[in-house]
Amino acid sequence: MEPKRNRTKTLRWSGLVGLATRPEYSSAIILIVMVTVAAILQKNFFRGPSLVLTIDAFGPLILLTMGQAVVMVTGLLDLSAGAALSLYTCILTYVMKTGQPETGVYALLITFVVAAVVGIINGIGAGYLRISPVVVTFATSFIWLGISLFLRPTPGGQSVNWFNAFYDFRNVDGMPPLLQSVSSFLPPVLILVLVGCLFWYALSRTRTGRHLRAVGGNEESAYRSGINTARVQITAYVANSLFVFLAALFFVGQNQSGDARFGSPFTLQTIAAAVVGGIALTGGRGSVYFAIVGALIINLVNKIIFFANIPYAYGTLVAGAIVIIAIGGSQLYATYGNRALARGRVQR
Amino acid sequence: MYGIYDRNRKLIAAFIAIVFVFVVGQLTVSNFLNLNQVMITVKLASFIALFSLCQMIVMAAGGAGLDLSVGYTATMTAIFTATVMNGKNENLWLAVVLALGIGIAVGLANGLLSTYLKLPSLVVTLAMSQILQGIINVYTAGALITGKPSPVLQILAAKSTGAFPNIIFLLISVAFVVMIVLYRTKWGAMLFGVGENETAAYLSGINTKRVRTIAFVLSGTVASFIGLLLLGNMGVAFKDMGSDYVLPSIAAAVVGGVSLQGGDGNYIGVILGAILLQALLNLLVALGWGDAGKWLGFGIVLFVLLIAYVSDRRKR
Repeated sequence: MEPKRNRTKTLRWSGLVGLATRPEYSSAIILIVMVTVAAILQKNFFRGPSLVLTIDAFGPLILLTMGQAVVMVTGLLDLSAGAALSLYTCILTYVMKTGQPETGVYALLITFVVAAVVGIINGIGAGYLRISPVVVTFATSFIWLGISLFLRPTPGGQSVNWFNAFYDFRNVDGMPPLLQSVSSFLPPVLILVLVGCLFWYALSRTRTGRHLRAVGGNEESAYRSGINTARVQITAYVANSLFVFLAALFFVGQNQSGDARFGSPFTLQTIAAAVVGGIALTGGRGSVYFAIVGALIINLVNKIIFFANIPYAYGTLVAGAIVIIAIGGSQLYATYGNRALARGRVQR
Repeated sequence: MYGIYDRNRKLIAAFIAIVFVFVVGQLTVSNFLNLNQVMITVKLASFIALFSLCQMIVMAAGGAGLDLSVGYTATMTAIFTATVMNGKNENLWLAVVLALGIGIAVGLANGLLSTYLKLPSLVVTLAMSQILQGIINVYTAGALITGKPSPVLQILAAKSTGAFPNIIFLLISVAFVVMIVLYRTKWGAMLFGVGENETAAYLSGINTKRVRTIAFVLSGTVASFIGLLLLGNMGVAFKDMGSDYVLPSIAAAVVGGVSLQGGDGNYIGVILGAILLQALLNLLVALGWGDAGKWLGFGIVLFVLLIAYVSDRRKR
């Protein structure tokens, strides 16, 4: 009995050590430090109203980064995510007509289908046509931009009133006051993020979900072990599209309009955020939930720069430097952790 | 077994596509195919092609390398050297030294971070371009951008000899040097070797990390010197003068047949790719379909081009 108990103890301990040697761990430490700094700089950081504002500002990048993370875990990359985001807002506001609530339902359905098609096209390009994912999504981003500009040459458009539910329940006419007051402590974007998390939880429990990581880890051996890699890659892009779709719902709820160009700056931010969250660009490694940590760090950088009264001109300089420090830190941390493991100082 | 057609398949395809774009332009838009129009296209394409040289070197070194910082490297050089030159030829050497310094510093930082720390170059060079943009913002917040390029630079980048813009002759000589360095020197073989198979290159005694770092340094240096040319072409320096070239430079390199997997790349093809994309954009603008048609057409043609000859289908 004695040796067995010992072994369980070592195993449990090793789980903790294993976590501590992963790059995500240092990202979590950076996040805690940054939240502390932000809370010190902004006195009311944890108060209800300002926290709701913060969550509203952070939510979209969290959703987009989770989508990008799914794609990156599969060993792919999506440079068209920002353009696709713009496209969905343009379609939503193109279909919807103010004062006709039923058009909102049509808009939702049509955009949902378009989102799936966007994912399938990217996936076919990378999976079946064997074009490098960076290049294929780079090309499709122009196609999405073109269609968006065709639908909405200038920012604008109409929206139905109940779409406010994706931003703030209190703006929705005819909603019970009790339900409306929920928005004062639970912003709808948080619900969207939860929906995203549940979706990923469900997907990652399926056979295809497990195949995502297998294909990302080593496409060749995944293929040789009988996985239809192209179909798995299409699944990854479609999953990403759905996350982008959720972000588009939030933006249309917030702005009540569509814009063909506002999404593009998000694309590279999502990749940087995912890398900061410990997801390897080479695929197969990292946790999609930890992408949230990366997105929070990238968002907090901007918030801290704002509240620390750093002159506007220094903003981009500091933001760029922090990204390098964050990913460099986690890389060094992981390297030394692995070396310590290899030397046997820490036992896994 | 390879015939001359097989070896130059991508070059021939790009060339046919260029001719096709010009012919379609001539048929649909009046006066598309005259010498002036062609020369303007080639001149604009020359700057893209020069930026694509940076991408090609970094991509050829493998490891999914890309350099997103080339635009702001060029902008920073242009802004600082404009002040240094102040429109005088005798200050040109100072500007060249400054450009060299900026290029090497930026490239070395990119290279060391992405090879020795093993960070993804896509994110490193993106963050680097943010840092450079930040430095430019800080500088321009405190001081006005003053100064002009030296007349030599203006002759080189903006003026024409007869119908031919001088930049074309520069591009041809650059292409000549690049082809010799990449295909006829030991270093070129090492670069492609590292890109093709890093492990094999390492086991044959090549310092793979150093080769990749040098690739980034070269990319930064070339980008920095393009900054001088952009300054010569525009006559003044401004804050975002280089950033519009970054994405086209990647597109041109890819259309020109450079593989993102590394170990491959023909600069002549890249130049043809740049001319093709620029001619296509001109055509789509001339057709007058507006922004929507322009980007939609560009995206679809890019996608089709990629399917046609970039995709390497698995032999099943």
